[in-house]
Amino acid sequence: MRRILRLMLTAAGPYAAQFRTTLRVSLAATLVQAAAYASFVPLLAELTRDPVRAGRAWLWVGVLAVLVAVEAALRVREMAFTYDYWHLVTHSTRLRLGASLRSMPQQELARRAAGDLTAVVGANATTASGAISSLSTLFVQLVTVPAVLGVVVLALDWRLGLVLVAATLAALPLVRQVQRRSNAGFHRVDEADAALSGRIVEYVQGLPVLKATGQAGADSPRLAAVLTDQQQAQARSNRSASLPVAGAQLLVQLAFVILVAVGAALVLDARLSLAVLVAVVVTAARFAEPLSMAATMTKLFEQSEAALSRVDEVLTVAPLTVTAPGAAPTTFDLGFEQVTFAYDGQDEPTLTELDLTIPERSLTALVGPSGSGKTTITKLISRFADPQHGTVRLGGTDLRTLRPDEVLRHIAVVFQDVYLFDDTIRANIALARPDATDDEIEAAARAANAHEFVRRLPDGYLTRVGEIGSALSGGERQRISIARAILKDAPVVLLDEPTAALDTESEVVVQQAIDRLVAGKTVVVIAHRLSTVVGADQILVIDGGRVTQRGTHHELLDEPEGRYARMWAAQVAARTSTG
Amino acid sequence: MTRERPPGGLRTVLDLVALAPAVRTRLRRAALLGVVGGVSAVAGFVSAAFAVGELFADHPSGEAVTAWACGALAGLVTGFACRLLAEHLAHEASYRLEVELRRALAGVLARMPLGEVQRLGSGRIKKIVQDDVKSLHNVVADALPFVGSGVAQPLAALLALGVVQWRLLLAVLLIVPVAMICLSLLSRDYTEQRERYNTASENVNAAVVEFVQGMPVVRTFDDGQASFGRFAAAVGEFTESVAGWLATSRASGLLTRLFIVPLPTLLVIAAGAVPMLEMGWIRPRDLLLGLLVGAMPIEAIAPLMHLTNYINDSKAGAIRIRELLDRPPLPEPEHPREPEGSAVALEQVVFRYAAERGEPVLDGIDLDIPAGTVCALVGPSGAGKSTVARLIPRFHDVDSGVVRVGGVDVRDIRSEVLLRHVALVFQDPFLVAGTVAENIRLARPGATDDEVRAAARAAAAHDFIVDELPEGYDSQVGERGGLLSGGQRQRITIARAILSEAPIVILDEATAFADPENEAAIQQALARLTRGRTVLIIAHRLNTIVDVDQIAVLDGGRIVERGRHADLVAAGGRYARLWACHTEAARWGLAAARTPNLEATR
Repeated sequence: MRRILRLMLTAAGPYAAQFRTTLRVSLAATLVQAAAYASFVPLLAELTRDPVRAGRAWLWVGVLAVLVAVEAALRVREMAFTYDYWHLVTHSTRLRLGASLRSMPQQELARRAAGDLTAVVGANATTASGAISSLSTLFVQLVTVPAVLGVVVLALDWRLGLVLVAATLAALPLVRQVQRRSNAGFHRVDEADAALSGRIVEYVQGLPVLKATGQAGADSPRLAAVLTDQQQAQARSNRSASLPVAGAQLLVQLAFVILVAVGAALVLDARLSLAVLVAVVVTAARFAEPLSMAATMTKLFEQSEAALSRVDEVLTVAPLTVTAPGAAPTTFDLGFEQVTFAYDGQDEPTLTELDLTIPERSLTALVGPSGSGKTTITKLISRFADPQHGTVRLGGTDLRTLRPDEVLRHIAVVFQDVYLFDDTIRANIALARPDATDDEIEAAARAANAHEFVRRLPDGYLTRVGEIGSALSGGERQRISIARAILKDAPVVLLDEPTAALDTESEVVVQQAIDRLVAGKTVVVIAHRLSTVVGADQILVIDGGRVTQRGTHHELLDEPEGRYARMWAAQVAARTSTG
Repeated sequence: MTRERPPGGLRTVLDLVALAPAVRTRLRRAALLGVVGGVSAVAGFVSAAFAVGELFADHPSGEAVTAWACGALAGLVTGFACRLLAEHLAHEASYRLEVELRRALAGVLARMPLGEVQRLGSGRIKKIVQDDVKSLHNVVADALPFVGSGVAQPLAALLALGVVQWRLLLAVLLIVPVAMICLSLLSRDYTEQRERYNTASENVNAAVVEFVQGMPVVRTFDDGQASFGRFAAAVGEFTESVAGWLATSRASGLLTRLFIVPLPTLLVIAAGAVPMLEMGWIRPRDLLLGLLVGAMPIEAIAPLMHLTNYINDSKAGAIRIRELLDRPPLPEPEHPREPEGSAVALEQVVFRYAAERGEPVLDGIDLDIPAGTVCALVGPSGAGKSTVARLIPRFHDVDSGVVRVGGVDVRDIRSEVLLRHVALVFQDPFLVAGTVAENIRLARPGATDDEVRAAARAAAAHDFIVDELPEGYDSQVGERGGLLSGGQRQRITIARAILSEAPIVILDEATAFADPENEAAIQQALARLTRGRTVLIIAHRLNTIVDVDQIAVLDGGRIVERGRHADLVAAGGRYARLWACHTEAARWGLAAARTPNLEATR
């Protein structure tokens, strides 16, 4: 519970003080509520007297009315938090999450699926503030009401009180079990759900094959098992969690009857006043309610705790540290010195004691099998993460002494997958320099072979990408991204096989655009098609996280047993053979 | 708004329940048990009140007290047992309904035109089959049985109070107008706010997706202002829409919080009881009963609110499920014929996608692919190449014209038979979670181990399966083949196509994503797959098709040129231009100025 409270206070952020106040108000309201129930005792004592003393009875009705009114006033204050702050808490949580996403090391960010992060900022943020605004006060009631009522009954008559306390003590372990059991159950259902999701996607994508072999339809063997398994997981989880709840409810019902029976016996023996019994019976009838709520609450608590934890987890990721701020680089050669790097949670390093030098304004190609570490090298250049050992330098400056955004100021990247924002073409090109003039933007677009087709769009540079979305071909999108890079005019350019997925006609114009982008820059390119990097100043063959060969195309071909020569031969064979 | 109003949410859910009669029967039983349970519980409280009430007699009878206490025990325990059983039945029924609906949906998907299924997309279908079906649970499992206990119990309480002491019932009824106001305020569907909220909520999600997915670009190009600004704007819009909604619902929310709780009702009952007792109109026992059951109607209102929420939540899902279930199936032939041979022909084919008006995607296509020959389709993206490929296995039906396989109109061939004749190898290889062997055998479940191995060998897959995978043919490939590389996945799908022995093969960009070292292996595999079969290839890399029997150049839904490579190049038309582009692109290298003549190095 303390953990949840801490998480709630963190998530409440700037509204933590209001949240604390609300919790206190809620506690006060609940105490007043308990007092209202307690006031039934004197009231009923007057009402069950023969003859009724109406004056005194009215007095107690008045007291009851005042208590009800005070509770109402406190509840209004308690609820004000929901109405005044719920959305503000959500708002601040989301903005803080957004800021955290921006400053988080790229490696941390890449580790998280976009869908998960959407859930954190979207649904989890609202669930978290929902927990803060409503669930917390509900919880206060849930715990306080039975406790206070128990004390009230004990005070009225210890024997009857003991019945209630005994029932509560017996029910407590059951309520605890609900939590444990539903945890296990939810987990199992989640697994079954995930399996089913996977199978449904598979079924849809595989329909042509499955239909051809009679495995499609309502009785598809690819679905039957997971469907039943999911049904059983749900049924079992429900059964196992509802049993303790049922037990607890039964205990409370029994306690109520026992209370009536014991009370009646005591009254018959004249060892208990009838008025007290009546008051106790009315109060005890309120006991069952919080208990039956406990079951539904457990689920809500699980969800809230999960949501709060996930929000907290994203909020507390530390940004990459900057050691002793270094001088901004003025030259733009790149160097790796004995760099060893392993991704988080992997034992095997992806790069091992890697040394490389990339002179300023040179063209360096990284080639090698997939998974050899080529992409990781470009990631370390842009300070995606820091190496565990060794140093990466830009213009002689250790990257660790520069903030990631300072590093990135000197680097332009053209990716294989182009990402365009749902904004105008102009804004997409001007991303790196929002203050660029129209002329500068058009010049960049011309250099990227993009001006002609942009001009033909309905609103030219002001056309929104989202509105024409699929109307832009892969080649056109790629040219917009190159225009963006040209406008940025960064001294270092990283290219990741930018023409791999283009059709023949687009390829030529994109190639021309790249030629203009890289002129006079320090260029590092990841290449699969070796023919595109024949002219590189140096080709580095990366295999298993090490540089296994380095040299120009011709130098490498002169090592006929080398990996490069074999790759070249395989590609020449593939190019000239026919399908 | 001219949009047709969707049918009521509860109606839609009940219609879906009606599809599974066994489930409906169980739910009825659950509701009935709920009624019995609610009534028993009230009877239990009445007995408890009478047990205590007996004590007010001048000479209370111990036996009577015992009898009433036993009645209370019986009533409360019966009520408890019935509710428990009702919940159990309803949950089980709801889980069963999920299975039934999912099976029905799987059946519909299997009968729909495959092209329609593809256009819906696996993501959307997954959402319907998984999430939307699941969203019915709250209504089916919690809300329907609740009609038993949540409605029957308060009614029984009012009835009991009326029978025992009608004057107290009047006091309880005083609070009814307040309750009605609360209920009407709460059940009001703030359509406008809800829609605004939903839109704002979707925008936040879209903004987050953009913010997160675009982060690599954001970091290299943006100082953060532009993209963070868009994100913050979406968040702000959401906050405002919520503020609006909160403001309008504030009054009803407070009213509910204050009155839809037991204490105010109990206060009214107590206040009413003072003069009634003084006048001797009612007995203390009646007051006790009023205090025990009088608040039940009020307490039943809160769950009714949940009910409204549940129904609103699942309404959209139920409608989507219904829509998918109602999709028309692909018409199957009444007098099916078997294809004779493996020739493929398109005659005057015109086709447009149902959802798109305007220009047809294919506009009068004539294409003849004699048995055992290879035909390549080339042309710019959007020319209709993939559509041609998908009409052959009848992913869609043509608007006019005929597609023939083995001389027979594809509409006269049963779809299973047609799909057995055509093997599809697409750009994005399709693998199921399971072992390598299972994946290859998918095409022919009866194939022996030797046949599977032979197919893998022919697909240049055997070596990596045995040498590189931990458990050879029994290695798991992971969900959608995630544990294998792209080239490995592609070769396994080729092995599957080889094993299928389908006489017709359709290849759509099959080598596009292969890395250089795999490319040669995949091309060998494809060469073996296509040997002796009728083949349609869609290719971007023109060097892979220079030797095929026939090249058809598609543009704007028509075939603008056809012939063999050498003839088309010589003709100097559209294909010749494509070929020129292709050779120029192939010659390009970074830092071209410093590049020696590439042809010389080959």
